[in-house]
Amino acid sequence: MPQLESQIKLKSLLKNYFSNLNGPIAWCTSAGPAEILRALGFQVYFPENHGALLGASRTAQRYIPKAHQFGYHSDVCSYLTADIGAWLMGETPLTKAYGLPAIPKPDLIVFNTNQCREVADWFSYFGREFDCPVLGVYPPRHLEKVTKADIEHVSQQFQNLIDLGEKIIGKTMDMDQLKHVLDLSKTGTQLWQNVLETARQHPAPLTFFDSCILMAPIVILRGTSECVDFYNQLLVELKSRLKTGFAAVPNEKVRIYWEGMPIWGRLRSLSDLFAENGAAVVSSTYCNSWIFDDFNSRNPIDSMASAYTKIFINRGENAKLALVKKQLTDFAVDGVIFHDSKTCFNNTNSRFGLPQRVRDEMGIDTLAIDGDLNDLRFFSDGQSKTKIETFIEQLKEKKPLLL
Amino acid sequence: MDFQKQPHYLGIDLGSSYTKFAVINDDGDVVNSQVLPTFGRRRERFNMAVDLMHKNYSIQKTCTSGYGRNSQKSDIQKTEIICASVGVSQSNPVHKCIIDIGGEDIKVIESGSQGEVIHFHMNDKCSAGTGAFITEIAEKAELEIGEMSDLAQASNANRTINSFCTVFAKTEILGWIFDGVPIEDIAMGIYLSITDRVCKLPIPHGLPIFLCGGVITHHPFLKQLIESKLGVEAQVASHPLYAVALGAALLARKSDSQESRK
Repeated sequence: MPQLESQIKLKSLLKNYFSNLNGPIAWCTSAGPAEILRALGFQVYFPENHGALLGASRTAQRYIPKAHQFGYHSDVCSYLTADIGAWLMGETPLTKAYGLPAIPKPDLIVFNTNQCREVADWFSYFGREFDCPVLGVYPPRHLEKVTKADIEHVSQQFQNLIDLGEKIIGKTMDMDQLKHVLDLSKTGTQLWQNVLETARQHPAPLTFFDSCILMAPIVILRGTSECVDFYNQLLVELKSRLKTGFAAVPNEKVRIYWEGMPIWGRLRSLSDLFAENGAAVVSSTYCNSWIFDDFNSRNPIDSMASAYTKIFINRGENAKLALVKKQLTDFAVDGVIFHDSKTCFNNTNSRFGLPQRVRDEMGIDTLAIDGDLNDLRFFSDGQSKTKIETFIEQLKEKKPLLL
Repeated sequence: MDFQKQPHYLGIDLGSSYTKFAVINDDGDVVNSQVLPTFGRRRERFNMAVDLMHKNYSIQKTCTSGYGRNSQKSDIQKTEIICASVGVSQSNPVHKCIIDIGGEDIKVIESGSQGEVIHFHMNDKCSAGTGAFITEIAEKAELEIGEMSDLAQASNANRTINSFCTVFAKTEILGWIFDGVPIEDIAMGIYLSITDRVCKLPIPHGLPIFLCGGVITHHPFLKQLIESKLGVEAQVASHPLYAVALGAALLARKSDSQESRK
């Protein structure tokens, strides 16, 4: 398949980002208030992105056992164990990819438990290692509805972050700068949504596996003009694909929704497996997680508090079901694959009956596969291939008239 | 006309423990079947078996299935779930549930009357409750696989192995041996453990149940225990060991007829 020009430019964009991480640096969780940190004057580094790099480069397997030896159980988040293990071994894939001698030293570490409690332990570990201040944002969890009180609770914590950040930077945050950063984030997130929604077309011009790569800027450059420029160009390219009817999966026969974490060390082989079987993975919970509809620069703190608290992973089962159902309808999905990620309990949604409810309420077939985001010891290539091939065949059997 | 010159189709199920071959004629009748241990590095016996079938029958197409389906040259490759559904449906063209207990996994398949897979479930990566589990535990208990069903039938024990892990289950069995548990009760304990693993899978209600795979072939007493646990009757599919290979052969025939219509 011809590569998108944006995909080629992504490499230099990321190299530029990592090469310039030399100012006051704040570490932040991927769905944390990066905008506040940027407005304060920090450069922002995202350990989860590093975790994903360790997985995608399949180096995680070397580092995870080191973290186990250090006391982190094998059932604990394999972003955490890979990242801490790499640190303990004094290595990082950033060296080979971007020439960085080590991960950037933090001046402030910020986490948001909107996604899981593991980030608190993970980031606190590095706070101790670097003797660096750590601030945790603890929103209410598993919400069916997000209330005004929930938002106020988070807004207050964001205010505490601003106070701490100002002390470290040594100057007051410029509210106009925050509004500017938030506007850029809002534009970036809308463009990212537009990018993902091109896959509503039949055939889809990109798949979940492409998006797992193309999502890097919305995670690590959110709130910058580079992020906006990147997705503007990508969108132009994808619209061109839409016009020509370009198919990311030639002979697309069935459309699949991926629920749960990517299996970073198997992105390529899974992408090939689906494509060989005429199945396009057209949408996912994971890639949608960086769409923040609520950002509003007229009310920056509260709107960020709302957006970051409403993310899928922080919602109750009924809210999650409603969000998934909307995606399945919007993208005309034939089947859903739930990735039961062994070490990511929080982003695994197949353990409390969601697949059955999707089947019962929408008549859409579901499949759960065992695996993990980074620890490939929990993934069986043979068994997963058998399950996925059978599932695709099962979906094809049900829409024979279209084939 | 020499019947061997008539069109035939070969299905090969390269399972985790054994490779099963089935040759069918144009009417779908099984005319030859055989089983070999799945090859490791030495493929001579496998190649000889394939060559012999090609020599004896006019094989039009071959379909491979099982974990090794992509390891051999063939016209088509289909998963063992799809093939089991097709194979069992040949004699049982009804909406049904198939429970296939193999060497390393257990599959529960909701299968349509035409052999289509409606829904399926496999055990997770752990091999507890599968053929490999029985082999490992039986070896530790010094039980002959072929005698286990008869032994278990003579037991009234209701004691099961607790451990999910095959390695720990072996240690547990060692404890039973030290405690002087009769060999019949050990055989029964292994079967009850398997039955528990099978019956915790989501088995659809109200459908006729068909059992197939290597485990039910070699351990027929399991049928009674599964029936008792589920509270419904189950049938052992015809050709239980060859259900997947038969399905593969039938799919090879189907593929041939689809091509000839083009």
